[in-house]
Amino acid sequence: MSEITSKTANETPAARSKGARPVQLGVIGTFLARQGILVAFALFMIGFTIANERFLDPDNIMGVIRSSAILGVMALGVTFVVISGNLDLSVGSMMSFATIVVLDLHDKLGPALAIPSMYAMVLCLGAFIGFLVGYLRLNSLIVTLGMLSAIHGLTLTYSGGKNMDIADKEGTWFDVFGQSAVLGIPVPILLFALLASGLGIMLAKTPFGRKVYAVGGNGTAATFSGIRRARVVFTCYLISAFCVATAGLIQASRSLGSQNTVGQGLELEVLAAVILGGASLMGGAGTIFKTVIGVLILGFIQNGLLLVGLQFYAQYVVTWIIIILAVWLDIAAKRGKLWSPIA
Amino acid sequence: MTSKFRRVLATGVASACLFAGAAYADTMKIGITQNNVGVDSYQTTYERAFIAAAEANPDVETVVLDAGGDVARQIAQMEDLIQQEVDAIIIWPTNGEAVIPAVRKAHNADIPVIVTNSNIAEQGFDFIKSFSGPDNITQGSRAAEIMCDKFKDMGIDGEAQIVQISGQPGYTTAIERAKGFEDRLPEVCPDVTLVETQPGDWNREKSQRVMEAFLVKYDDIDGVYSGDDNMGVGALNAAKAAGRDGIIFVGATNFAVGYEAMERGEYWGSIYQSPVDDAEAALQTAIDVLNGEDVPFLNYFDTPKITHDNMAEFSKPVF
Repeated sequence: MSEITSKTANETPAARSKGARPVQLGVIGTFLARQGILVAFALFMIGFTIANERFLDPDNIMGVIRSSAILGVMALGVTFVVISGNLDLSVGSMMSFATIVVLDLHDKLGPALAIPSMYAMVLCLGAFIGFLVGYLRLNSLIVTLGMLSAIHGLTLTYSGGKNMDIADKEGTWFDVFGQSAVLGIPVPILLFALLASGLGIMLAKTPFGRKVYAVGGNGTAATFSGIRRARVVFTCYLISAFCVATAGLIQASRSLGSQNTVGQGLELEVLAAVILGGASLMGGAGTIFKTVIGVLILGFIQNGLLLVGLQFYAQYVVTWIIIILAVWLDIAAKRGKLWSPIA
Repeated sequence: MTSKFRRVLATGVASACLFAGAAYADTMKIGITQNNVGVDSYQTTYERAFIAAAEANPDVETVVLDAGGDVARQIAQMEDLIQQEVDAIIIWPTNGEAVIPAVRKAHNADIPVIVTNSNIAEQGFDFIKSFSGPDNITQGSRAAEIMCDKFKDMGIDGEAQIVQISGQPGYTTAIERAKGFEDRLPEVCPDVTLVETQPGDWNREKSQRVMEAFLVKYDDIDGVYSGDDNMGVGALNAAKAAGRDGIIFVGATNFAVGYEAMERGEYWGSIYQSPVDDAEAALQTAIDVLNGEDVPFLNYFDTPKITHDNMAEFSKPVF
């Protein structure tokens, strides 16, 4: 699968010449070309460890992965949408919505009913977006940008502008999703890992996964192969909504209360992680594994910069530089050269 | 023309004048354009309290508008209020700079303008009668005093190390609170060191992440000052998850979550800022200006210290 995807992602002369002479790359070269982002990740980890020896402290690593789990779970769903050739900018607002709804219903219906109700409501939103993009063939950027603000408005209306808090924080089992641990591993990480494995297998090994690549890589060809594109796109948005609902669940459970702007701005961080992982905005390329690496890179950059104690004004700039460096290393490794002007 | 007619006319004019005069003295028409009601509980509660206070006062008639966070809409609302010839305008600026031309327009139309909650930029000061709102620098220095007093009680004021989680970079409120805290702390507790400041962007989840990194980086943290309770509770969650007890948390703008954590004894102190006081102070300032009373240009309403010890004197915040 990955051979096909890397070709569709890089229809440049450089990529084609690389594809024509794969033997000359050698074992290390091939590894670099396929896992450039992993090499970049390793380099940053080494750099931050030199800057502050506590960076590799197991507690710190566990903490960063736990914090990244919320963003990560959302990125898994968005990976499907992006590979199918679309965008989802509504995930931040939708996550706020999920968090606020589940917290509100927790006190009204009890956690056992609140969770499925919240999932149902968020899946309805996902289905609505999927319907607009898949069946009415509206541009996904416009649809989800609109939904970003519409769902934000919905959340504000629902909450009446108030922060949502669970009244009885001590006497509920609802905190298991965000605060407890199984065999020493925090549950958010377990949920993230579980979803990543499940969705990773779905994307790489099942007929549905191959259809997602086909729809994003070459829609016309997909249609001629008898793939019902609308249904695939619709399902991708449902998967994204499911992931967002899970992220909202973890978020709500982690702090048992929330502002109604909790997910604001996350859509861009999610997208950054997905692209950092090498998924193509044109569709047809990307893997769940690499998205996970992208999420971890973002998480560790933010944590590393904090530990180094960099002035926060500089952190925004440095974050951006590191992202560009990572993408460049990845692309350069794939092309087999650092310098490649648009010809 | 008969003198009778003249007399009738005179009486009519006189009574009309009297009537108008009485009407003027009886009701003042005050317009307000708010920043963004519904976006958070503070602003929602503010609006409710403002309307309630106005209804309780028979001399006041209000026009209550909301700009929805949009500068252009707020400017249009200012123009509407000028057109309606209200007696005074209260504005909660969506943007401290962009609203100045509209404020000047009202000033030129002889309508007094009162700014509420967050002030406009200094170049607009000539066009406003008064600013009514919280004094964020005092809030910061009071937080420093709360922290220092607690350290003295614990006997660690000679060695304590603290970290600060500030509000969103660029926000006046964030800058002023941090400044008030940083200036006051060395005066009251010269041996307490502020080891690091990072922004939590008014966001609980972000502060939790920042605090997690602080806890990894520093083995010894005795106190955390955060720019509001929402961020403070995020930091508290991080400390609880890491099993680090005994840290003194001090915040500002006491939220319901902060109040609850204070009840449980996990969170030490904060600054009590009530949207109800904020709204009532703004309305009172406008009334005082219209009655020709002497109103201070910076008309701060009091935001007292609240700690675990004295919290019974305060009702739980609704937001």
